[in-house]
Amino acid sequence: MTSLKEQNTKATTVRTTFSRETSVSIEIKADSAIVWALLTKASDYTRWNSTVTSLEGEIILGEKIKLKSVLDAKRIFTLKVKEFEPEKKLVWGDGQGNRIYTITKNGNGSVTFSMTEKIGGLMFPMYAKMIPPFDQSFEQFANDLKKESEIIMNSK
Amino acid sequence: MTTELFNEEFKNNIGQLKSFLVRITASVADAEDIVQDTYIKALEKISTFRGESSPKTWFFTIASNLAKDNLRAQKRWVENVTDITKAAALNNKQFFQEAMQIRMTSPHGQFEAKEHIAFCFTCISKSLPLEQQLCIFLKEVYEFKVNEITTILGTTEAMVKYYLHTGRSKMINIFDGRCALINKEGVCHQCSELNGIFNPKQNTQEELMKIDLVKEAEKGEKEHLFDLRMQILREIDPFKSKASELQLHHLEHNRQVMEKYSEKSAE
Repeated sequence: MTSLKEQNTKATTVRTTFSRETSVSIEIKADSAIVWALLTKASDYTRWNSTVTSLEGEIILGEKIKLKSVLDAKRIFTLKVKEFEPEKKLVWGDGQGNRIYTITKNGNGSVTFSMTEKIGGLMFPMYAKMIPPFDQSFEQFANDLKKESEIIMNSK
Repeated sequence: MTTELFNEEFKNNIGQLKSFLVRITASVADAEDIVQDTYIKALEKISTFRGESSPKTWFFTIASNLAKDNLRAQKRWVENVTDITKAAALNNKQFFQEAMQIRMTSPHGQFEAKEHIAFCFTCISKSLPLEQQLCIFLKEVYEFKVNEITTILGTTEAMVKYYLHTGRSKMINIFDGRCALINKEGVCHQCSELNGIFNPKQNTQEELMKIDLVKEAEKGEKEHLFDLRMQILREIDPFKSKASELQLHHLEHNRQVMEKYSEKSAE
């Protein structure tokens, strides 16, 4: 997994009164099939992704997954897979917000991986301060995915 | 290709095919059936063979497809298969009586820790998703190149690399956690225990230290230890080795136990 020192991508967060949106993008020199396979195999997440401590269920359209993250070790997020476009787009979320993953082929053998999460709603100002910032975790996620994908791509 | 040449090629590859199939299916009967079906299918398609791949790759493609059909309906095994099957064996007097009989009478009934290491890998690899298990055996044991595996499994190079990497990582992780040969805290000591039963006059520790995997364990290089484990599998023919009858008897026991275990957990 990637250490913080190795990180070479920067997440950005846009805050409004009723929402907060964090995004990160990174170029990955690997086939989109590899990136997609890593993103959609729930049982394998904890092996390569240092931001996820547990992920149960199957990442299939309409299915529910249970995710535990380093951001809040005690909390289990129950999330529904809302969009599932192989090698292009994956969306999961709950009533508070959606996490959107996109993979775009760059035409040179690499892909651009992006992830965005927008949380918010009318009650957002009441609990906004209780939600930790996502930036570092997003950067870590993207870097872990890049590292693992490129290791696989370059394997013999 | 003429029928004569075809038969010769098939004969040259039948040993590796059977070895591969028994390790994938954990069933001698299924392996035999699939080898026969592979022969029939290949013979039927002999006119379509253009030599774009080697005959070995062609036979393995047909055999892998048949094996996939056979295995898709079956549940995958679990990582701690050896704990489950050990508990069942300890409650099964007949199993040990049969095994001892094989040990005493069969020329292929010797017990060697190396053979058990290969047997153990066969059982635990059945906990991997099927594609990962197939890729590991094809690449690491039967020495196909990645591009040949794409032909055999009908998938892309990227996915073969993904299956290989994830399968390998998982197996390394499982053995690192469980195998007492490479981790002093490992919970599985079955090679030593069985060596004590079948070779009571041997000094088990001395015997184990003859194996490179065990000798190198102290260094703790996980990838290297995995490669040494694969070398053991490459060197053993599960149908012809000195321990084949004993190990295949054990494998059949495990297969039956795991079949019942899967039925029970599905209830």
